[in-house]
Amino acid sequence: MKRLGVDVGGTFTDLIYVDDTSGTVLVHKLPTTPEDPSQGTVEGIRQLTAEAGVSPAELDQVFHGTTIATNLVIEHDGARVGMITTEGYRDILHIARHKKPLNFSNYQDLPWQRYPIVRRRYRLTVPERITRDGEVLVPLDVDAARARVRQLKEAGAEAVAVCFLFSFLNPEHEARVAEIVREEFPEAFLSVSSEVLPQYREYERFSTVCLNAFIGPKVATYVRRLEDELKNLDVRTGLHLMTSASGVATTEAAVERPVNLLMSGPVAGVVGGIWAGKQAGYANVITLDVGGTSADIGLAQAGKLRMKHLLDTKVGPYQAMIPMVDVDTIGAGGGSIAYVDQGGIFRVGPRSAGADPGPAAYDRGGTEATATDAMVVLGWLRPEAFLGGGMVLQPERARAAFEKGPARALGLSVEEAAMGAVQILTHSMVQSIEENSVRKGFDPRDFALVAEGGAGPLFAAQIAVEVGTPTVLVPPYPGVTAALGLLATDMVYEYVATSYQRLSSLDAEQVGRRFAELEAEARRQLEEDGISSERLLIQRVVDARYAGQGYELRVDVGPGAIDEAWIEKLRADFHDIHEREYSRRFEESDIEVPNIRVRGIGLMPPLETAEVEPGDGAPPEEALRYEGSAWFRVGGELRRVDTRYYDRAALKAGDHVPGPAIIHQYDSTTVVPPGLAATIDRYGNILIATGGAAGDEAREAAEAVEV
Amino acid sequence: MSVIEYEVGQRPGPPTRPRMEVDPITLRVLGGAFHAIAKEMAGVLFRMSYSSIIRESEDLGAGIFDAEGRELCESDSTPMHIGSLPWYIRGFLHRLEGRIEDGDVIVHNHPYLGASHSPDVAVAVPIFHEDELLGFAAVTAHVLDVGGAYPGINADAFDVYAEAKMYNALRWYEAGKLNEDLDRMIFDNVRTETMNRGDMNAMLAACQLGKERFLRLVERYGADVVMSAAYEWMDYSEHMLRHEIAKLPDGEYRAPTGWLDDDARNRGVRLRVETKVIVEGDSITIDLTGSNPEVPTGFNVPFEGSLLVGAYYAVRTILLDEAVFPEHVPQNDGVFRPVEVVAPKGTIYNPTFPRACFSRFTQVQRVVDNVILALSDALPEQTTAGNSAGIHFCAYSGFDEKQGEYWLYLEVNEGAYGGRHGKDAMDSVDNLMANTRNNPIEELDLRFPIRCDQYELRPEPAAPGKWRGGIGIIRRNRYLVPGVYSCEGDRQTDPPRGVFGGWDGLVASCRKNADRDDEEELDAKVTGVPFAAGDFIELVEPNAAGYGDPLERDPELVREDVLDDFTTIQMAREGYGVVFQDERTLEIDAEATKRMREELRASRNLPGSLTRYFEERPVERPPNPVSVAGDREFGRA
Repeated sequence: MKRLGVDVGGTFTDLIYVDDTSGTVLVHKLPTTPEDPSQGTVEGIRQLTAEAGVSPAELDQVFHGTTIATNLVIEHDGARVGMITTEGYRDILHIARHKKPLNFSNYQDLPWQRYPIVRRRYRLTVPERITRDGEVLVPLDVDAARARVRQLKEAGAEAVAVCFLFSFLNPEHEARVAEIVREEFPEAFLSVSSEVLPQYREYERFSTVCLNAFIGPKVATYVRRLEDELKNLDVRTGLHLMTSASGVATTEAAVERPVNLLMSGPVAGVVGGIWAGKQAGYANVITLDVGGTSADIGLAQAGKLRMKHLLDTKVGPYQAMIPMVDVDTIGAGGGSIAYVDQGGIFRVGPRSAGADPGPAAYDRGGTEATATDAMVVLGWLRPEAFLGGGMVLQPERARAAFEKGPARALGLSVEEAAMGAVQILTHSMVQSIEENSVRKGFDPRDFALVAEGGAGPLFAAQIAVEVGTPTVLVPPYPGVTAALGLLATDMVYEYVATSYQRLSSLDAEQVGRRFAELEAEARRQLEEDGISSERLLIQRVVDARYAGQGYELRVDVGPGAIDEAWIEKLRADFHDIHEREYSRRFEESDIEVPNIRVRGIGLMPPLETAEVEPGDGAPPEEALRYEGSAWFRVGGELRRVDTRYYDRAALKAGDHVPGPAIIHQYDSTTVVPPGLAATIDRYGNILIATGGAAGDEAREAAEAVEV
Repeated sequence: MSVIEYEVGQRPGPPTRPRMEVDPITLRVLGGAFHAIAKEMAGVLFRMSYSSIIRESEDLGAGIFDAEGRELCESDSTPMHIGSLPWYIRGFLHRLEGRIEDGDVIVHNHPYLGASHSPDVAVAVPIFHEDELLGFAAVTAHVLDVGGAYPGINADAFDVYAEAKMYNALRWYEAGKLNEDLDRMIFDNVRTETMNRGDMNAMLAACQLGKERFLRLVERYGADVVMSAAYEWMDYSEHMLRHEIAKLPDGEYRAPTGWLDDDARNRGVRLRVETKVIVEGDSITIDLTGSNPEVPTGFNVPFEGSLLVGAYYAVRTILLDEAVFPEHVPQNDGVFRPVEVVAPKGTIYNPTFPRACFSRFTQVQRVVDNVILALSDALPEQTTAGNSAGIHFCAYSGFDEKQGEYWLYLEVNEGAYGGRHGKDAMDSVDNLMANTRNNPIEELDLRFPIRCDQYELRPEPAAPGKWRGGIGIIRRNRYLVPGVYSCEGDRQTDPPRGVFGGWDGLVASCRKNADRDDEEELDAKVTGVPFAAGDFIELVEPNAAGYGDPLERDPELVREDVLDDFTTIQMAREGYGVVFQDERTLEIDAEATKRMREELRASRNLPGSLTRYFEERPVERPPNPVSVAGDREFGRA
């Protein structure tokens, strides 16, 4: 198969082309075109297919990851949404969960009130009410509904969300209003809660469904335009987009439920990290993607993605109760600013110098010390080697920023302050890794840390030492790992239905029937995508919780008849998962199953990349750019030590690179601290051993801080 | 052991454990780690727990404390719990005379020995390292029922013995071994055994996790470094707060007298709240001298676990507002140190044992509101207009024959904030010290024999101001089976106060079977009111007050408010002096607006009041279709 992955980020559009038959892999990078990202995407595809010598018509799959949906939310640049909801409950979106984001603040804003997804004037009510049994208590007032729809049309709404209480049990009223919208206002983008998210908890559902409407028109326009332009380019396979759950959405699905694309970009990074790990022989990975202002952290055990708890799934300040891969984003990156606050505490980030003015060393007007400046001061980033020489850094600017800032305030030397800044940033990433993943019962010693993004490989070795992961893995192209992730994954569609049953009194016939319905839907979609039966897989998942609890956990369940054995297995698995998540199990308690899910999977050929030419174990002469010195902590002291600087492209398989060493490539820089060593594997991955005695030593060196 | 000798509010003084210097980087790392532990403890607690008051509302607190109860860190859960645990710990240490063993699990809720109030039960485990008691991992959470006279809420209890079962420094586990008889004693004597058991198991799991995480830090960095860093962070927080207090001119700042509705038994007798804020250098004293004598009901305030917490909260929130202040100042012992509280013994804010003190929240909220009002002239850009500063905390319950236990639903009804300098208020949100989450309607309806008929902003407009006040909610809940209703509420007589020319807000109300022929006005504090199947309660929460002269509000903003029904065309004219050319397009008539504003300015010299405004103009509310259908369903149409 000839496949192409394209990941559109804020700064760059990354592409990767793979021919599974010939084993060709090509990568490409070009600036993102923010005013219309489809331009950059199409141009990238044109250039890359030309480079590969294939015509766009020959492509079998185009898989796309994008941040467009996220940015619409974060920049509050979505559509004018009108909402039709149950009379007596107009302000569910205004009240939210009545909890303030901050405890100790009278001057905070409630984002859902200050920057509402649907303004109150466009939240209109109609008489109707379904009860908890799914019965009609108040019949839908059809005339009122029609009048409201006309009112919204007149007010210039671009999208309409229909959100009634208990519609997940009985969608009749919502369906009727949807019909009226189609009659009266067909040009509106329509988002119906029982279709988009048939799950209980009204605020979370309404918020998700209205976000769907908010981003809907623009995402639809973008996706359709991109599809058209791909057609013009003679791309004959349909466009597929990565969802927040690392599944796949067709153009139609993306247009109907754009809310599923909210985390499209970062998730691809985690998937890419998993693939890189597998290729290098590591099934358990922690992925660390560090850019200019933020770091994305993910974790996968046995090559499997972990999903976020459904109530933790926010985008910006807004709740979006959709399945999302567990990726945590923190404000730590190359641009993070280092400063000393008025109480004398040394802080780094989350404030960032961004790309403009950027770090002081960029010499574009930035005067505050950043993490990048720290790396320059320490000699880890060579002025002339940045972006392959595309930008020359000004080390004296970096020094001055530290001298006037943190060094003076703390009475430290410039190097000590710079090292301190790096360590603080490292620690905040360590903290986030521990809090969000490792502390949930996963032993870091069983994981490899995959370093991604421009800045990931700068920090990774030190972080691995701190967290206790024995290996750092730097893939050949750290900067395009997300694009690679798009091709490294199977096509997964997920379908959900509310069941609300207890295991002790499970209606096996009904559950079996609902599974069968969802499975048929999944099968239909995959067949439409041209997935042959031997590559088609169906999986079942349930959301489960102890009866009486309010939060569910996902449990994989087996195929076949819903019998005693099936139920027993689910029960046992749930106890285990609960214990792993919360360190307790309650064997005597009954288990509730609020939702059942089906995953339809189209298996993709395994992604294979070319091997690197083997060397003789020592880096070839042409790989050594120069010998110089850099600052590291050795034996508890900050010292200037002799350091070798290598060109990654010239390193061969099997090469052993002892630290201290710095390995440069166009889009990233890898730091190998003293006491550690890197080897190049046959795929060109850099592996740094951070466990065992070397790791202990490095850890001691880092801990015995004398300031 | 009688507690009448126990002297409240005694702090242990500066820590005596030898300290070492901690380098700035390790210090920073440990600060983050402390906070992460507390956060993780709270996460385990609310996810594992059974009752909706903990699970959905997150009415809980969690943290790590030193051996004398000094707070190292606390979770970001509801502030009412934050800062009470130090007093629980000092209280149970007093009762146990310091006898603590590794593996003990202590359960405590004694309101005269540090507890916030009796239903906020604390579970604590000691953290030992090399035979040294380093401190405690502890949590508090509101458990559904603690075996008082009535299910869930006991606002008019005769004494502490009637309001709850007292857990006075009980060792649920002794040196790691379950105390089985005590366990039965605890859970056999509450109405909601299954829920309490699930919740308290979750509390224990959270403590154990906190202890493990803390000991991991100690193993890695050494006890001396960890404890020194903890004390360093306390000093940091103290320094930051003192620095802000010192900027205030020395002197006494007095709030207008506040009035609480009644004591839950003696109707129509309002209770006085006097608040003075005294600034001296970098210290601040909240003096409640002159406030009402203690009452013979459960409407008194535990001094340590509730009043002090309120005072700490007020000072910290005004001076180190998290949204405005550039640095994150961690919540720990340091932010308590600059704050003193004076409340004479024998008043509602410092009651005498064995006075009941189950229902204390609204009184503490009023102290916070009063501190804000007292400082409004001194700190006009850091304070708000009068807040709802109350709560209607409701208990819906009945006996479930099949389960052999009570069903019990506790509901925190939110308030609204007063207007603020430069921005409008927050509507319909937990106010001041409350920061729980509401229970989803669908969750409520599915889980309890209750149906929510209505939940939205109340229909009256916001209190006018240059920056408008926040709008409260209207909520209707119907019993589908017979049951009882109890509530601790307030603010049904004394509206939130406007500042700098902003209007006073609107009071709250509770009505049983509102708008029906058997309608009944209920007081804010009631206990065990019987509800038949089909009866419902309507709760309407205050509209908070406006900030600044409404005649100075940008007419465009008034227009926006009209479009969103935050105000009305009539109020635009009468309250803001804004006149529209026509009522459909709402084009502003600039000339007429100018004239109207001049007219109003000339004719008026006192701030307006929404309460007064609506006394003269009763609001017409269209019938709520869900209520109408519900009445019909139960033959009450």
